[in-house]
Amino acid sequence: MTNATAPSKKKKRSWSKWTIHLFPIPALIIYGMFVLYPIIAALSYSFFEFNGMNRGNFVGLQNFVTLFTKEPYGSMFWNAFKHNGVYFIIQMVVMNGLAFFLAFIIYKRIRGSEFFKAAFFLPRVLSVIVVGFLWKLILNPNYGTVNVLLEKLGLESLQRAWLGDPDTALIVIILVNCWFGIGFGVLIFLAGFQGISSELIEAARLDGAKGFKMLSRIYLPLMIPSIMIMGVLTFIQSFEAFELIYAMQGSMGEPYYSTDTLAVFFYRLAFGSSTASGSTSIGLGSALATCLFCFILICTSVFLRMMNKKDVEM
Amino acid sequence: MKQGTIWTKPFYYIVVFVVATISLYPILLMILSSFKTSAEIFKNPLGLPTSISLDTYRTLLSKVPFTTYFMNSVIVSVVSVALIIIVCSLAAFYIARFKFSWTNAIFFIFLLGMMIPIKLGIVPLFILMRDLGLINSLWSLIFMNVATGIPLTMLILTGFFRTMPVELEEAARMDGAGNIRILWHVLLPIMRPALGTVIIINFISAWNDFFFPLIFITEKAKMTIPIGMMSLFGEHSADWGSLFAGLTLASLPMILLFFIASKQFMEGLTAGAVK
Amino acid sequence: MKVLNRWFFLFVLLLTIVLAGCGSKDKSDDTSKGDKESESSKEVSLTIGSWRTEDVAKYEKVIALFNKEHPDIKVTFSPTKNTEYNTVLNTALQAGEGPDIIHLRPYAAGLKLAESGFIEKINDLNGLNVFSEEALQASRDAEGNQYGVPINLSSTQFFYNKKIFKEQGLDVPNTWDEFIQLNDKLLAKGITPIAMGTKESWLLSLLHGIVGPGVYERNDFYKSVLAGEKDFTDAKFKESIQVMKDLKKYFPKNSEGLGMDDIRTEFALEKAAMFPLGSWEIPVVSEMNPDLDFGFFPMPSKAGNKTVTTWVDGSFAMNANSKNKEAAKVFLEFLTTKEFGELFVKEFSMISAMPGISSDHALLSDLSKAVESNATPYMWVTNFTGGDPTTKTVLETELQGMYLGDVKVDDVAKKVQENAKTWFKPFQ
Repeated sequence: MTNATAPSKKKKRSWSKWTIHLFPIPALIIYGMFVLYPIIAALSYSFFEFNGMNRGNFVGLQNFVTLFTKEPYGSMFWNAFKHNGVYFIIQMVVMNGLAFFLAFIIYKRIRGSEFFKAAFFLPRVLSVIVVGFLWKLILNPNYGTVNVLLEKLGLESLQRAWLGDPDTALIVIILVNCWFGIGFGVLIFLAGFQGISSELIEAARLDGAKGFKMLSRIYLPLMIPSIMIMGVLTFIQSFEAFELIYAMQGSMGEPYYSTDTLAVFFYRLAFGSSTASGSTSIGLGSALATCLFCFILICTSVFLRMMNKKDVEM
Repeated sequence: MKQGTIWTKPFYYIVVFVVATISLYPILLMILSSFKTSAEIFKNPLGLPTSISLDTYRTLLSKVPFTTYFMNSVIVSVVSVALIIIVCSLAAFYIARFKFSWTNAIFFIFLLGMMIPIKLGIVPLFILMRDLGLINSLWSLIFMNVATGIPLTMLILTGFFRTMPVELEEAARMDGAGNIRILWHVLLPIMRPALGTVIIINFISAWNDFFFPLIFITEKAKMTIPIGMMSLFGEHSADWGSLFAGLTLASLPMILLFFIASKQFMEGLTAGAVK
Repeated sequence: MKVLNRWFFLFVLLLTIVLAGCGSKDKSDDTSKGDKESESSKEVSLTIGSWRTEDVAKYEKVIALFNKEHPDIKVTFSPTKNTEYNTVLNTALQAGEGPDIIHLRPYAAGLKLAESGFIEKINDLNGLNVFSEEALQASRDAEGNQYGVPINLSSTQFFYNKKIFKEQGLDVPNTWDEFIQLNDKLLAKGITPIAMGTKESWLLSLLHGIVGPGVYERNDFYKSVLAGEKDFTDAKFKESIQVMKDLKKYFPKNSEGLGMDDIRTEFALEKAAMFPLGSWEIPVVSEMNPDLDFGFFPMPSKAGNKTVTTWVDGSFAMNANSKNKEAAKVFLEFLTTKEFGELFVKEFSMISAMPGISSDHALLSDLSKAVESNATPYMWVTNFTGGDPTTKTVLETELQGMYLGDVKVDDVAKKVQENAKTWFKPFQ
């Protein structure tokens, strides 16, 4: 893209040329010490057996084999993986879809847009513990706002134990997460809309495009970069989904593993369940984390590569 | 077009209004409930409090060293964010502006941190912190916030540096400016919006983090707000009025800060965090 | 330009100094503390790790009593929230750190820490002989090594709202059939009989612990299981699961969405007549509604046997890596004294693991008496926290599945048996 080294080559005295290499050093040191090193150390645990909490012998891929073949781990893994997939799809469609639309509305300059932007984003500043606690209350089957509201509207038949019913628990949790994260999406998409050159829009308008056609034919293709960014971030976040589930449904992914995800499963393996009688399997937990890491890494690399290609084309 | 606008505008307003209501309602509920007594919460969970009583806050503040927690949270968040900005703008400038064969690799390594739950490495981290003598020190939290904030910050800042016109920089170089001067006096001032974004995002996560203080801090005098408030959950699990007052106290500083800084921040994201 | 580069180096230098400075400052603090300790061994400090965040004020009183005799040992009680306690403790222990005194989870969960070598043996601790064999069993391994000093017994039983019972002309049930009739009567009157929810699965093994003995007559089944004569495919066990299922109609509306906080609220605010839970809930319920008049009844069986389900809920143990083992030992010995036992019962509103300690709290002292005469062990905690996942966990999740309509009664028993068979010696 740019080639800023050329001018510096000519002008700088030799010693200041190497000082530039100091620039990434502080970040690398901190990141290396407190993120890379502990993660690499812990990933290596996946190749060892554990007796209780003490590391035992090197066992090669044994932990991975156990994770996928021994029950109940095997079915728990795929069950959790499926939920992560659902997490990603719903977040993409509902959260990002709605965020896209909201950003479009704000872009069209409605009154009070500053207020609405702030309102959409405000949930994001809360701690996940607070979010989980509040929504547990709102969704309480007997006192919670949702069921009370349904009653007042005469829709008693729709009342449910939202978080206790395996048919709804996962979806409700994901929707709460959408509530939490939508403001960020709105802002990213809004940035995308505002980056579209007005000449292009004018030209399309002169061609007679309008309404929905305008949105789908003109805006959508031009918004692909920001959609991709939100896609990657949503993907990573969906496959690492943990805190909200832990805050609302505990480390067992209750009820009956219907809200279990890979990260919750990992937490349960590595630290035991949050109730008194958990057992830990650090080796299996690390093996699971390794798989999760590889999966996210491969998918995002493919994603990013596609994105870079797009950048070049444009 | 004209027929369309009659219907589309109201429709747009209805949509944003509904979504905004859903966004704000739980927060409002939390604040309102904090003025109620436990009994009132159960009898009338959704209504307005019958009278504004600050008693729950008073008892809460007498039980919990809130000012200590608050100061610790402020120190940790402010120092973390300042360090993130410094180290990441240096590194992002290097990666975005200089094409050595390894710059992309470094960038990629920085991004790896987003893809793995850092909780995995908690035991090695604990040992590291102990060896550095940082257990029960706010620095353990600061380093963790900086380290875990680096990936997303690098992504945003590097992206932003790449969109900067090179001409500005070259003009400065012609004038004989060094790299630091270009970064500090030429690039960073026009990057204010992106910096605003990065500051708020990192501030939020530093302020709300509870996992690392849980593990690294055992002394009450060094606890931050989320962890101090979490112990409140255990101590007053039956006293819902206090619980809500605690939740409100824990969230209020961020909510206020957000309202003060939101304009700057919104501009930051909208001005081009993406492209 | 030179100026600028100087700024740059100044910055890097500053950063290094700040970073190094903070690190070394704390370190020097540590070493100076250490020096002090070795110079004058008089000032020793101990920390206690626990999951009882609700007991901070109470433990301060315990420490005050301890310091009357041992003013030279400074003790700090530093608890972590229940749900995160294991994570925090395990991490610290694996790094060779952690509190000097550890609040040990009962039975297998706590012994796992001992197996990993994190807990000091206290076989020769003075005063252990005041406890009963059963109480010591909670923190003793298969080889007979003692790791913890038992503190309190927990018991589970039905609590009931005396006012509602009186208004409806109901009496405490003496047989299983009376118990069911009682529920039907309440239901007919439009009162929720049992405050119970199935959202949090741990409540389900707890409920089974209460209700089960009502089906299989006190300890008979338990003893046969330990002897390997009967297992979980037994008809009696299946019946106990079926009974659990049948109780659902007495639960509040939407019980699948109710957790611990919700059902406590139902009972404390007099919306439900009975509350099957543990003795530790007594102070919490009273705090929530000080006017509530409630009592308890042991679970009656078909033959009219009555049982209260009990276990040792936590012991205090010594960290094997503690730097102050001598002081820690002094503290553990203090926990075996009568003075502590009396203070504990008075302050904590719990049943002491020490026999013969009476309480002023009427409900509690009745309960202690019932525990001494009608107890059956809560076998899911005392014997079935082994396996991976534990048998207790399997029971809980399968029961939850049953209440949600996903699992059949027979399959609950089958899954529990399959899991137990993988590790429980008498079944192999």
